[in-house]
Amino acid sequence: MAEILTNLSNDLAATVEAAAPSIVRVEGRRRLPASGIIWAAEGVVVTAHHVLRQDENIGLGLPDGSTVPASLVGRDPATDLAVVRAEGTELIPPTWAEPDDLKVGHLVLAMGRPGHTVQATLGIISALSQNGWRTPVGGQLDRYLQTDVVMYPGFSGGPLVSATGQVIGLNSSALLRGVSLTVPAPTVRRVVETLLAHGRVRRGYLGVSTQPVRLPAAMAGQLGQETGLLLVAVEPDSPADKGGLLLGDTIVAFAGSPVRHHDDLLAQLSPDRVGSTLTARIIRGGQLEEISLAVGERE
Amino acid sequence: MSSSLQQLNQEMSTTVEQVWSSLVQINNGRGGAGAGTIWHPDGLVVTNAHVLQQHPNPTVTLPDGQSLPARRLAQDSQRDLAALAVEAANLPTIELGDSRRLRPGDWVLALGHPWGVLGAATAGIVIDTGQPPELSRYRGELIQVSLHLRPGHSGGPMVDVAGRLVGINTMIAGPEVGLAIPLHIVKEFLRETLGSPVTTALEPASEAIRV
Repeated sequence: MAEILTNLSNDLAATVEAAAPSIVRVEGRRRLPASGIIWAAEGVVVTAHHVLRQDENIGLGLPDGSTVPASLVGRDPATDLAVVRAEGTELIPPTWAEPDDLKVGHLVLAMGRPGHTVQATLGIISALSQNGWRTPVGGQLDRYLQTDVVMYPGFSGGPLVSATGQVIGLNSSALLRGVSLTVPAPTVRRVVETLLAHGRVRRGYLGVSTQPVRLPAAMAGQLGQETGLLLVAVEPDSPADKGGLLLGDTIVAFAGSPVRHHDDLLAQLSPDRVGSTLTARIIRGGQLEEISLAVGERE
Repeated sequence: MSSSLQQLNQEMSTTVEQVWSSLVQINNGRGGAGAGTIWHPDGLVVTNAHVLQQHPNPTVTLPDGQSLPARRLAQDSQRDLAALAVEAANLPTIELGDSRRLRPGDWVLALGHPWGVLGAATAGIVIDTGQPPELSRYRGELIQVSLHLRPGHSGGPMVDVAGRLVGINTMIAGPEVGLAIPLHIVKEFLRETLGSPVTTALEPASEAIRV
């Protein structure tokens, strides 16, 4: 019995030790530094967007104990990811895993380097979706990945490490309050590559605030959907304003897809939609109408 | 590499999969989901009294997605336990463990629907069992565990590492400590309120004849 525990304990410590050289300290806000994961040997580090309060004077605390300046490559608030680069450093990236056999109940370690040494906590995967999940701020994650690891202060931006020592994703305590969420490796890869190439992640923008509302019974029957999105604000000079959307309109479809909830509309505003002209189907004064909108880009 | 860790890993996820089959949702009528534990293949479900409190017509959603109206058989606010019946047969039940044998340091898992995330699992070790001295609003034994119970876990199963039921997730004492009603208190409640010895198909015979 104690033998298994001793082995387990040693295995955990060995896993932490193996991953430690790929975890850095990220100094991008007052007082509390956070963590980052090495993405590429040439000084590229991925971290959490919310721990970088400033765009300049960013420092990286490297595993060898030195601190080097870094510049911001880009950030994506929607997935809470940011990329920074430190020139002239040689770093060791971890093995990023995109495992298909990940299951609820699997043991995982959350690691961070808010101070000079690497810290670790142990937990299990609590929930895992097979499909994508949209963050409350409109980002698209490849999976919903929740753990029960305790995220100590400064752990955001650090890795979630599997029992085999691979990095499953990047931990963020800011995407959902009170929940330890991990941005899965495929999402990190997608966003980091976009940030490295373009410095930002484009997102479609209409300039409306909406509220889901129940449709009148006759309309619901005709459209085959129970709800739509009522416009409660239209920003002046926004794509919605220019296209002729008015306060009080209810969007029931966009680009040919039904719109029942916020999510349905957000899903239509993907990066490739920026600049294209699409049709919004609305209810105005009890009548169905169609309006053309040129999708803008969110600043 | 990391053989004991990988083995443990595998066993943990297998245990979770086993326990999922006896974890139900209890509709609170406001879009959220409390949890419940299937106790008997003929449709007896155990949950917390506080999960049901305000709901005259609770419904139970089985692991296969089937939603059924439930009848309230018994409820005890003091012990915070309730028993429901749904019209069903051959439901998968959970093997019963021995909550009196839990010791500090034992590893346990809790399943439920925290904040509405369906079938989520959390694990930790037993801190202590018995009546927590600092708890004034609940009188009775509780399993105190270093894991994360959240709203939506209530009524769900707490199991030992072999997947055997040891308690019903009930409340929290701070963000890192979960409290569960031990299985022997649940049995006592069922015996007192439903009369005859209520056992699951998987309970050992020696337990079943002890009234």
